[in-house]
Amino acid sequence: MRDCSDGNGLMLRPSLNLYSSFHAETQRHFNRKPAAMTSEQILAEIREANLSYLMLAQSLIRSDRDQALFRLGISEETAGLIGALTSAQMMKIATGNTLLCRFRMDDDLVWNLLTSHGKGAANEGVSRLHASILMAGRHQEAA
Amino acid sequence: MARNKSILSEARQIERAVTLIHLGARLQVLESETDLSYERLLRLYKEVSGRSPSKGQLPFSTDWFMTWQPNIHASLFLNTHEYLNKVAELDEIDTVIKAYQLYLEQISAQGLEPMLSVTRAWRLVKFVDNGMLTMTPCSKCGGHFITHPHEIARHYVCGLCEPPARAGKGKAAGSLQLHSEPRIDAASRAEPRKAATAA
Repeated sequence: MRDCSDGNGLMLRPSLNLYSSFHAETQRHFNRKPAAMTSEQILAEIREANLSYLMLAQSLIRSDRDQALFRLGISEETAGLIGALTSAQMMKIATGNTLLCRFRMDDDLVWNLLTSHGKGAANEGVSRLHASILMAGRHQEAA
Repeated sequence: MARNKSILSEARQIERAVTLIHLGARLQVLESETDLSYERLLRLYKEVSGRSPSKGQLPFSTDWFMTWQPNIHASLFLNTHEYLNKVAELDEIDTVIKAYQLYLEQISAQGLEPMLSVTRAWRLVKFVDNGMLTMTPCSKCGGHFITHPHEIARHYVCGLCEPPARAGKGKAAGSLQLHSEPRIDAASRAEPRKAATAA
């Protein structure tokens, strides 16, 4: 267990400082060679991502609701729901085996523009602007 | 706009005016969008920006929005504006302010200089409101771009799918550049079109 490359040993190591152990955990992710995640890891990471998303969404909604609708690409009703969540509710919603946010550019056109597919880096600025215009024009998904 | 003497509404108007001044709006915009008197606006302007407002007429024609780079900037702003218009219920001027802030953010995130001033953005919305300009979907990428009204949609291709010959050659800092390498011309432009038709 202790010497397995997956690093479960890291979690068993007694640590008083939660933050630094979290930090070590994330560091490990960057250094690690790609390996399959265990299902506990998958669940933990999904919860982490969901929580970050919900917290960010909530603070965006609370600081400027209208701009948050644009940034998040969600409807007024959804914004109302997320904005009213308590921390306990957030924890509950975040826990699960699916992500709460979804991909916003599931088409080749925008995707190729964003990744500058098929062109040199020279035109990247133009392509990204093009992608921004296309994405800003898509309000039917939100409303 | 109804003349309202309520102090609360006046406070809101001052706040709005201050935001607009910070964004660099000309005095004419403030005069048109608030009920505050010219004298008060002038004082507010000096207090907020620390200088006198620029004088003279607003130098606008719809043609500016048709040139390559301004058209791209203005289209980005107007798409954002339309988005907010659809999803949020805001007063017209607040929609302009918020969309303009988002435009500025997006431009600076991409390392470009904003070309569209808030005054121009405001005029643009007016132009669209009274039908002097409109948005037409590009027949290649489907994005909405600012055009003169009655543009034939079936044949319209935006300046990003097919940049005009001299586009993107300017050397000004923060302006859009199209390929510094000399050879790309035909080849690179054929590429996105292929992607567009495939999509």
